[in-house]
Amino acid sequence: MDLARRMFMGQLARLAAGASLVPLATVAEAAINDQPPRRGGDPTKRYAMLIDLRRCIGCQACTVSCHLENDAPLGKFRTIVSQYEVDDPETGDMSTFFLPRLCNHCDNPPCVPVCPVQATYQQEDGIVVVDAERCVGCAYCVQACPYDARFINDKTQTADKCTFCTHRLEAGLLPACVESCVGGARIIGDLNDPESTIARMIAEHRDELQVLQPEKGTLPHVFYLGMDERFVDRPEAFASIWEIRGTDNEELHYEFSGH
Amino acid sequence: MNSAVIEILAPRYQIAWYPWAVQYFFMIALAYASLWLALPGLLGARRWKATARYALLGAMTTAIVAPIALLADLHQPLRFWHFYAYFTPWSWMSIGSLMLPPFVFAIIALAWLVWREPMLAWRTRDDMTGLIARIATLGGWQTPRFAVVALALFAAVMSFAIAIYTGSEVAILKGRPLWNTQWLLPFFAATGFIGAAGLVLVLNRFTGARDADTDRNMLMVVVAAAVVTALVALAWALEGIFVEDSSVAAAIQSVRHSAEWRSTAIWSLSIGASMTLVSFLLVWRNGARIWGWIIGLVALHLAWMARWNVLMDVQTVQKQTAGYLEYVVGWGSSGWLGVIGTFGLWIALLLVIDMFVPWKQALDGPADAPAEKTDISAKGVPSHG
Repeated sequence: MDLARRMFMGQLARLAAGASLVPLATVAEAAINDQPPRRGGDPTKRYAMLIDLRRCIGCQACTVSCHLENDAPLGKFRTIVSQYEVDDPETGDMSTFFLPRLCNHCDNPPCVPVCPVQATYQQEDGIVVVDAERCVGCAYCVQACPYDARFINDKTQTADKCTFCTHRLEAGLLPACVESCVGGARIIGDLNDPESTIARMIAEHRDELQVLQPEKGTLPHVFYLGMDERFVDRPEAFASIWEIRGTDNEELHYEFSGH
Repeated sequence: MNSAVIEILAPRYQIAWYPWAVQYFFMIALAYASLWLALPGLLGARRWKATARYALLGAMTTAIVAPIALLADLHQPLRFWHFYAYFTPWSWMSIGSLMLPPFVFAIIALAWLVWREPMLAWRTRDDMTGLIARIATLGGWQTPRFAVVALALFAAVMSFAIAIYTGSEVAILKGRPLWNTQWLLPFFAATGFIGAAGLVLVLNRFTGARDADTDRNMLMVVVAAAVVTALVALAWALEGIFVEDSSVAAAIQSVRHSAEWRSTAIWSLSIGASMTLVSFLLVWRNGARIWGWIIGLVALHLAWMARWNVLMDVQTVQKQTAGYLEYVVGWGSSGWLGVIGTFGLWIALLLVIDMFVPWKQALDGPADAPAEKTDISAKGVPSHG
């Protein structure tokens, strides 16, 4: 990506982080691919997450605790930390960049209107969930999400995704990833409560916050502090992990491949 | 890029739609395009009647197999009734689930009306075919002409809905920039016509009647549909070059550095161009009778491959992480078994219909025993009559 485009994307990411904070009016028009009304959840709240990348050390404690908490199948993740090696164009030094990824619980979630049976929906508190009893496993939502936040769970054969651990929130607990984060990089809270940590941090860092793929108009509600603009979109990176090959030049697979 | 970035760790994001999806999109496009190829003959065009016989057979069989492949692509196929219990008018897939049954049943009913006409003569037979004819014709009445015309027009209207929904369903997905373009609709439709014309050419050769008008008609359809496909591809590419921040530009960007995508593009372009050129030469030099069916196979290959490229290969382009998924088609039911099984089911259906339905005599076809026709001059070519 050239510099001009990168700067443009960076500005867009900041603008969109601001735009994401303006609540999208509950739309109820029946036009094709429009957002259906939200249902369930606490209408007084709007959950969001702020990830302070300056505090993330890439330990994957969030990945592991999420896996244990939510019983995701091996090789599929509701959250994971992408890791990159980046050279600094000014000093020539190599550094490492960690990017925790999870469902963005967008204000305009592209995964919701595509669902043909209304199995996936957005709660009034902004959390996007899946009703696994109703889901037909068509994977249309998996295709619609630009963030790879969804997958078909091999155990249930239905769509699966991060729910901000809504079952824990309801019980007054923090999501597994937030609770296990050693650096305290993940902050979850209610944007509608001006006294919440997240609301105060957003007010404080408003101009520095960025969201992923802002040009898609999804209005993500996972905000990143200390974001490198090169990773806002699909990074132009050398995918080293898939270049590890066996003697037959075949890509080496995970040991749990086939599960 | 003025700095090097190496992705050290990222999950391997798997594909979510299996080859079943390719089979559905292929079969359903063959169904609606074949219906259109059958229309002139069904509505009375004399030189298109033989074409209509093959096209109707093609439309009817593919329309039955397509929804089966679609069902198999669901991870919870037994929950298909949820589509009807929870209708969702803002979802393209849900709209499609309402359009599909009337389309399929209209084509089946149309074929039944057309085929029961010659079947009436079989009602007196003593064997199995007679028994089936007595049941399937539901009485000795003549098929009213207006019913055929009305049903053909209704099916044609529904086929529009199918073409629009199958294209839009994929084209609205912003998550995959390569799909997120309205040019996908005409692309699916035009390549569908290439495939359907190919199917009719192959049926014309291998069911023995070998009608000369059909070969000519279908080669011309192949040429026209290929030209339209090329124009659509050109328009798509031009939009990517000239329109700032279009999804097309993002799409081209996402595959710019892939050698595999380059070779796919070169293969499709060269096969498509050769097929169009040879089809044109065959019409011009009257070589359709001998070589038409080979063009038919190539056309089917192109129409199928276009869907494989669009639906499978695009899923290997990672959405937000670097590189491409090295997708290997498995042998199981979500891999080759599904692909082969779909085609096997389709051939079985063709054979059953060929055994029990006098479809070749429909639409003023030659009376029983469809032997060589008078305009046939080639020698030594085997015939599967």
